Amino acid sequence: MAMAWQLRLKDGAVVGLPRALLFYELYPFWRGLLEGLGLRVAVSTATSPKLIEAGTRHAMDEACLPVKSFYGHVVVLRDRVDAVFLPRLVSLSPGTYTCPKMLGLPDMVRQNLRSLPPVIVADFDARLRRRSLEEGGESVACRLGRSRGQAREAVSRGLEALRSFRGSLEAGQSFEEAASGAAPGWKTPLEGWKTPLEGWQTPLAGGDPAPTRPGPRRLRVGLVGHAYNLFDPGVNLGLGRKLVALGCDLVTSEQLSEEEVQTESAALPKEIFWSSGRRILAAVTRFRRRELVDGFIHVVSFGCGPDSMVGEIAERETRRSSNLPYMALTIDEHTAEGGLLTRLEAFTDMLARRRARPEAPEGSVAAEVTT
Amino acid sequence: MRVTFPHMGNLWIIVKTLLEDLGLEVIVPPLPNRRSLDVGVRHAPEFACFPLKLNIGDFVGALDQGAEAIVMAGGIGPCRFGHYAQVEAQVLHDLGYDAEMVILEPPRGHLDGLLAKIRRLSGGKPLTRVWRAIRFGWEKLVVLDDFDRALTRARPVERLTGSAARAHRVAAARLADADGVWATRRVGGEGVREILRAAGLEESGRPGEPSRGKPFARLRVGLVGELFMVAEPFANQELERRLGEMGVEVLRPLYLSDWVRTHLIPRVFQPGRRRRASEVKRAARPYLGHFVGGEGLDSVGETILFDRQGCDGVIHVAPFTCMPEIVAASLLPEAGRDLGLPVLSLFLDEHTAEAGLTTRLEAFVDLLGRRRAVGGAREKW
Repeated sequence: MAMAWQLRLKDGAVVGLPRALLFYELYPFWRGLLEGLGLRVAVSTATSPKLIEAGTRHAMDEACLPVKSFYGHVVVLRDRVDAVFLPRLVSLSPGTYTCPKMLGLPDMVRQNLRSLPPVIVADFDARLRRRSLEEGGESVACRLGRSRGQAREAVSRGLEALRSFRGSLEAGQSFEEAASGAAPGWKTPLEGWKTPLEGWQTPLAGGDPAPTRPGPRRLRVGLVGHAYNLFDPGVNLGLGRKLVALGCDLVTSEQLSEEEVQTESAALPKEIFWSSGRRILAAVTRFRRRELVDGFIHVVSFGCGPDSMVGEIAERETRRSSNLPYMALTIDEHTAEGGLLTRLEAFTDMLARRRARPEAPEGSVAAEVTT
Repeated sequence: MRVTFPHMGNLWIIVKTLLEDLGLEVIVPPLPNRRSLDVGVRHAPEFACFPLKLNIGDFVGALDQGAEAIVMAGGIGPCRFGHYAQVEAQVLHDLGYDAEMVILEPPRGHLDGLLAKIRRLSGGKPLTRVWRAIRFGWEKLVVLDDFDRALTRARPVERLTGSAARAHRVAAARLADADGVWATRRVGGEGVREILRAAGLEESGRPGEPSRGKPFARLRVGLVGELFMVAEPFANQELERRLGEMGVEVLRPLYLSDWVRTHLIPRVFQPGRRRRASEVKRAARPYLGHFVGGEGLDSVGETILFDRQGCDGVIHVAPFTCMPEIVAASLLPEAGRDLGLPVLSLFLDEHTAEAGLTTRLEAFVDLLGRRRAVGGAREKW
């Protein structure tokens, strides 16, 4: 299947962005870039059980839930847009990879889903270079036959939006707030997320959590994992909202700045070669050392390769050098809301008891529960 | 220093030779078995892939026998094998073992770092001495792969089930004891002849008569997938033996020496290897346009090359949750449909039951046999 290199899209054509996987890290960039190239952007609807089912039908069984959800989002888009944006995200920072499945994703989607509209494919690879987004963005522009000048302008527009998005995330805004602030035009707020959640992503001022509400301190949970697991309530069954309802403030791994991640990562004997893994491990180490949290919840997709290794390292480190509870919460398309709620209740109950009795015996409560 | 290392098929023969030649005392872990697997499964991360669990079992077995250091390969991703050593070190540490982990990271462009590690292992022997040890190990590795190839030819046509495998075992044992390059070459020549003779084959390569009781004689199946699962019979439930005993000739693109070539030796030193790699890449291109770590791209490319060689089918084997092979397995059915080539993907782990696997293999081979019978039908399906 030889790919025509050039793809003719008129100004104002609608490009579909699947709301899945690295969308949750790069949406403002994609939007800035594509709009800068004269296109209109349509984001697929929120992840729903029906959408996941559609994805599951086309993806292979062994694929993880976020990949299946990605398929579902492409299914939603395919009849409604002029082109689908399917970048190949090999690497976002030097010396790292995203994940093998993301390396193969454009091919998997094109092979497994039939009757797709034209797709916009471009490699984003920062393994050996620093400028992955710039060069990838310019090659998108080149494929679409736009001029270099327009390309450069679109890229810088995307980067600007991304910077402001990251800044808002680090300051503790929810994904929706940060995304709509950085990329105006976000017209489809997720159900149940219209109002910013109080307690969601407690701001970290200078590394310390800013004082929250008056009254007794609420429990603070370190929520770590891939952005697409933390921020997609359709995938994590509204985990964030449930925890807040149970009386927890949340600090997430997405609140760490890139510099903080680099510093923590460089201190390891061998740096993790997955960018998400670096961030998760850095967040766990930093939250633990600064005593920012009462316990950790690591949201893991069933069968996630990077997290099976990174989570193990993080959990063992946590148990060895503190007595903070660490729960690996494994989710897949079969996870039931009732079971999830029970586990969260049990976990937060335990945290509350531990706080009431601070001299809890060392390590006796380290949770090692999965599914 | 007593050192050990993980098992992968018959690789222990080579690693033992190499390390002993460097003056180390070597403890070979017990061959993977039910018990070592249980130990591995109990202590390894639940969602780690299968080879890691077997590694842990190997290490615990060897450390209990008094090993003090572990030699392990590293990697630069994105396949999680590259982080095996770190996770394994933590697991062993938490189990109370105090073992040094010597990690041989793949050199990036030059061999200095790797050689330095090996030299340190050997207690600072001169480089020429180290080089000689490596040459010797390599010699044995090439011979071992010759044995394996001879076995895949012999097994489908042997008269007495198991006779070729027995000859192979004898030859491998003699290879393990061979104490010099010349002895190795001699053992190599004799071994290959004997394995073939056990099945009534001559070295010239004239195919033997298919024996009775082997219903699927002369079917040819390509075996692709993740290297450890392909090379370690305990992990793949002796896939090659099962197929061979049904009379199927199993073709493998990847042997152990290929793994060493890809993982430890920079490509610039191997023009032939580069040619092969680009051929595989070109073949895979219509389905997969990018490297995805591990052997994912190779699985797709080799499948297509096997089709060109006229194979009857391809079996694709990988550990459960293997990321690169999930990518491959998503694409292989489409490739199979386009080419009219049956492809069977098997994801295996400690829960794989023998009866279930046998049933699937038999059904697949049956299908291939019937397709042959209806007149070499290779039409699209």
